[in-house]
Amino acid sequence: MLSALIWLPAIGALITGLVPIKSAKVSAVIVTTIVLILDILLLGQFNLGESNFQFQENLPWLDNLGLNYTLGIDGLSLPLVVLNGLITWLVLCFDREIEERPRLFYVLGLLIHSGVSGAFLSLNTLLFVIFYEIELIPLYLIIAIWGGRKKNYAAIKFLIFTAISGILILAGFLALAWLAPDGLPLFDYNALRLVSLPLQTQVILLLLLLCGFGIKAPFVPFHTWLPDTYVESATPIVMLLGGVVAKLGTYGLFRFCVGLFPDAWSLLAPWLALWAGLGILYGAITAIAQKDIKRMVAYSSIGHMSYILLAAAATTPLSLIGGIAQMVSHGLILALLFDLVGIIEKKVGTRELDVLNGLLNPLRGFPTISALLILGGMASAGIPGMVGFIAEFLVFQGSFSKFPIPTLLAILGTGLTAVYFVILLNRTCFGKLDNNTAYYPKVFRTEQIPALVLTSIVIFLGIQPQWLIRWSETASVQIADRLPAITIVSKTLQK
Amino acid sequence: MNNWIAMIWLVPCYSLVGAVLSLIWSPSITRRTGPRPAGYLNIGMTFLAWVHSLVALWAVWGKPSQFLSFTWFAVADLDFTFDIEISALTIGAMVVITGINLLAQIYAVGYMEMDWGWARFYALLAFFEAGMCALVLCDSLFFSYVILELLTLGTYLLVGMWYNQPLVVTGARDAFLTKRVGDLFLLMGVVGLFPLTGTWNFHLLADWANSATPNSIAITLVLLGLIAGPMGKCAQFPLHLWLDEAMEGPLPSTILRNGVVVATGAWVLVKLYPLLQLSELVQKITIGVGAATALGAVLIAIGQTDVKRALSYLVSAYMGLIFIAVGTGTIESAYLLMLSNALGAGVLTMAVGSIISNNITQDLTLLGGLWSRRPISGLSFLIGMAGLVALPPFCGFWALSSLFNYLQQTDRYGLAILILVVNALIAFSLMRVFGLIWGDRPKQMTERSAEPLWLIVLPMTILAGIVLHTPQLLTVMGVINWSELVNSAAIILSTIIGISAGSYVYLNQQIAKPILLPNRSIQEFFTYDFYTPQLYKFTIVGLVDIFSRAMYWFDRFFIDGVGNLFGVVTLLSGESLKYSTFGQFQAYILTIVFGIGLLIILVFSNQF
Repeated sequence: MLSALIWLPAIGALITGLVPIKSAKVSAVIVTTIVLILDILLLGQFNLGESNFQFQENLPWLDNLGLNYTLGIDGLSLPLVVLNGLITWLVLCFDREIEERPRLFYVLGLLIHSGVSGAFLSLNTLLFVIFYEIELIPLYLIIAIWGGRKKNYAAIKFLIFTAISGILILAGFLALAWLAPDGLPLFDYNALRLVSLPLQTQVILLLLLLCGFGIKAPFVPFHTWLPDTYVESATPIVMLLGGVVAKLGTYGLFRFCVGLFPDAWSLLAPWLALWAGLGILYGAITAIAQKDIKRMVAYSSIGHMSYILLAAAATTPLSLIGGIAQMVSHGLILALLFDLVGIIEKKVGTRELDVLNGLLNPLRGFPTISALLILGGMASAGIPGMVGFIAEFLVFQGSFSKFPIPTLLAILGTGLTAVYFVILLNRTCFGKLDNNTAYYPKVFRTEQIPALVLTSIVIFLGIQPQWLIRWSETASVQIADRLPAITIVSKTLQK
Repeated sequence: MNNWIAMIWLVPCYSLVGAVLSLIWSPSITRRTGPRPAGYLNIGMTFLAWVHSLVALWAVWGKPSQFLSFTWFAVADLDFTFDIEISALTIGAMVVITGINLLAQIYAVGYMEMDWGWARFYALLAFFEAGMCALVLCDSLFFSYVILELLTLGTYLLVGMWYNQPLVVTGARDAFLTKRVGDLFLLMGVVGLFPLTGTWNFHLLADWANSATPNSIAITLVLLGLIAGPMGKCAQFPLHLWLDEAMEGPLPSTILRNGVVVATGAWVLVKLYPLLQLSELVQKITIGVGAATALGAVLIAIGQTDVKRALSYLVSAYMGLIFIAVGTGTIESAYLLMLSNALGAGVLTMAVGSIISNNITQDLTLLGGLWSRRPISGLSFLIGMAGLVALPPFCGFWALSSLFNYLQQTDRYGLAILILVVNALIAFSLMRVFGLIWGDRPKQMTERSAEPLWLIVLPMTILAGIVLHTPQLLTVMGVINWSELVNSAAIILSTIIGISAGSYVYLNQQIAKPILLPNRSIQEFFTYDFYTPQLYKFTIVGLVDIFSRAMYWFDRFFIDGVGNLFGVVTLLSGESLKYSTFGQFQAYILTIVFGIGLLIILVFSNQF
């Protein structure tokens, strides 16, 4: 089952590459649809009470090296795998922006999907690194081929940063493998969890991995690749990048940083929480200064990833559930926002806040797109009724008892999020549409589909959050249980 | 009969269904029928909600409160249950909300006849109604927060509805952000309260507050956060400036906003009252905020030339009185104040709207002399005023006199005098508005004026009729005690002074208007809202603006710069190192010999 999720898109990519250019889209659509259906079946078969990895697959590959093909899924990876399936499906099926070399685009898209799924599913650290690096190559190409004006700069920057992140992670895993007591290199995740290393070693390895995943997520100050890459990438690509690929960083944070180094993690947690709090504020404040809507959304992402860091730092069951929910909700909302911003850019021809105006106009503007943009912005600002609120609230409530100050900083961050989204919405949607210039092309129904689908999911999960959090409850409790108690609890809040 | 009570949760759902269905008539979706069906649909839904709550009120009258709870979701050790309290009070509040919204919607049919934004407008009114009904039913702090936050979003959209006008857009922005500030503090309070209490249910919180002895700093901070939410909603200092800017929105929504929406904050504050008792300081702050707003806002109101703004500041002032009532612990007067504000401010806004609708202007200096032409609106305005100030036997009187008497009994004479002053000033301010619109001789803008469409006049007169009937209603409900009239001389006197002073100044043609104080700067201080907008512009807004630019600069040039520096250094070192391969054989040999020598030294240095 899990192998199918990885190899089906890979084989699909091969087929798509071989069929005539006209049927490339059909082939990609078929493959992604099947994968999405498989994802949904997986949701149905997933055992909520089981705390171990499910659907495990184990094939010896290079046993001497310790590199085995071990797959498994739990409450942490399941929502992300489904998110990956969903967003890839939306991007590949409903894309209308990619006009040149569509076949290559579909091939690369499927390969990215395959790599990301592989990374989410591997239970072998070396296998994880392989998938993690594999996904990089098609991403580099896809940014460099279909990007905006500064696409080469952005693609190279992305490549270098992510490669460094990969190297750091590989270094961490190698060190971990050789430090394991048996003498044989140990890459198996389940076995590694039982290894207990001296605290000092744990801290050093943890810092390596933190930097590695911190670049990928990204957290401040490793974020500088993000604005350039997101802004220069074409809409479907940035939906994939922001919606799914960046989640590899936070996934790694939960899976490997918290999961493998519990002692070191609880030692560093107070600092990490502070880092998260400041990161949230940093992202929000820099977003306020933006004049370009796509760049503003990109900066919003920096702050929002730090909520996940805060959740991971607190490691209460509640905060971890919130953190996983935040990964999904952020993926959905960010993809939605980038999609809408992309449509506006394509139709209006600009992303400048000072030029955009009055798009809510029912006759010559884009009322539906603008309404969805308002919803998306508000969802991102954590207004209740939408999925962002649930995730953020769980993070806040879960983290507050452990780290009150960073949590309050984070709440302040949601306030600042509202500030920049109101700026964005006021300039873009409100105001008087200029009669002389407002001859915009029509937005087709099919172009609206991804946004409509994403909005309905955002609202549905906001109203019925059980469907979002039920998957990860067992896994979160399990992660939290492995952690030694964090001793620093705010004294003022004790009864 | 009990079915009506058990299904009471349907009341918010009716209007919610109406709100969702109205979207069908958005101009971008349905063109053929025009947007009007959305309005009629919503009026029908609101009527249904009103009837339902009225029947339920009948059924629940005199019975003890019932509690229902629905589990929303449960996660880890946290249960999110939507608790409902069904009592005569909560259902009575729903009757008021749905009733006023029904009248406001009918009013809107007349007022916004030519508007194309009906679908959006009615959907949002219905959204508000649903939110408020859910809020009064809800017995959980968490969901109260959720609903307040949703109403904040609703205000943003409702005010921003006529987004073609720049003032509307900034008004919407300010309304959203100011209320969001309050909401965020409320969120902090909600998050911070849970570790202490383990529950968000208001009744359990009250039980907890009776027995608990929490750390005083922690509970004070939490409570400060909790009262910030109501402060934002009720437009109290320093979060007051959104309410007058929100006046840029369509007038029928102002009826709802001035009447009931601002009172949502007060409602939550009353629910929080048991917790407030845990901290003396917070109670004092609540009273202080209320007192400052009551006095300050009423003075600002007198300085306004825009009639809608003049009324909106009065609402702020009235909400300030509620804050005083809750801070000192007279919950009954707080509820009575809410009721008199809902009815009184509703009628006042409708009456003023009926003038604005066909005299086009809302500038008080351009109006005047309408008594002979618009007596019905004028009478309604006076009735609204009677309902708001302490004029027996109307609702405002009972509210204010019970508050005044309570303050006297508890030896808070300073506050008691403040109530007298504020009451007199409210009366004065309303007489001023009345005099400037209906008194004096007609001006250019008011030469021709007739009572508008019946759709505007009917709801206005119905609501005025209800205000006139409040004495009977309150007597039947057993809320008021007529013997209180005896010791209310002081407060009645203050009303009379206020009204007569107002009439003397503004109904007197000998006194030239506008009235200018000898010192212009004091007058402008009030007219421009204590310069609060400017103050915010130069402090918080300016600070965030400068800070964000500075951070962005730092981000671009420093953090990104470090990354780029690495790149440049790598390139440059590569560039310069390539000249080391210059092809001179001897130099290579020399390098190798030198390297080997170095290695030998390193290896052997360890042995010695």
